[in-house]
Amino acid sequence: MAFNNMFKNALDDTNRNKNVGTFAYLLHRITGIGLAIYLVMHTYVLSSAISGKETFNQRMGLVQNPLFAILEVGLVAGVFFHMLNGLRITICDFFGVTLSHKVFFWIEMVIFIIIMIIAIVLQWPKMQSGYYTGM
Amino acid sequence: MAEKVSNQSLLTWFLQRFSGLFLAFFLFTHINVHHFLHSEGLISFADVNARLTGSFWWQLFYFLFVPFCVFHALNGIWAIIADYRPSKGFSIFTKAAFWIIAIILTAVGTFTLTNLF
Repeated sequence: MAFNNMFKNALDDTNRNKNVGTFAYLLHRITGIGLAIYLVMHTYVLSSAISGKETFNQRMGLVQNPLFAILEVGLVAGVFFHMLNGLRITICDFFGVTLSHKVFFWIEMVIFIIIMIIAIVLQWPKMQSGYYTGM
Repeated sequence: MAEKVSNQSLLTWFLQRFSGLFLAFFLFTHINVHHFLHSEGLISFADVNARLTGSFWWQLFYFLFVPFCVFHALNGIWAIIADYRPSKGFSIFTKAAFWIIAIILTAVGTFTLTNLF
């Protein structure tokens, strides 16, 4: 079966081809799978709205606390890495600048770090539980 | 020798790019509204309800957002699986399972939305 050793093969590929392109390719796939799993969890939490307002507020309350505020930083990192990397791939492909993909990767990283700093600063009070004031 | 790419693969490849561009806009707005610009207090039913009620654009936004997300997620995972040259039986099984998951997720998501306003 072609899935045999798929993790080992992925690692071998990375070892043979040590450049930012391979790194971005792997991380794009890992964040993609993670976000797909998150989409299912997100739909589950929000679908409580079908049972009414109280159920929605109760279940939303379960995922709005300092622990989830910290996990959300990971989520935001996954989202923005996947988004910026996807835009980089699309720009490189459609505008014929594939040969400069490494330059675009570092531009992407600069934008990514700026967004993450903003995200952590905005999320900081929630991680301290200070801004969760109840319904 | 170059293999001919099937038209279906070419279409899903293109649609992945297309939905990706839409999601870049959708998700950026979504995260801005729910995380960055909503940094105080809990997000409750009342908040979501206030945004969606009577706002044609927010309703359209989220009704498009749900199927775009589901398509992009499942098509993306399918693209990863296809890279490992799965057997014919496994392909058919996975595609069938993904269609069922896609329909259920879109239906639940859309029905949830109608309950939020």
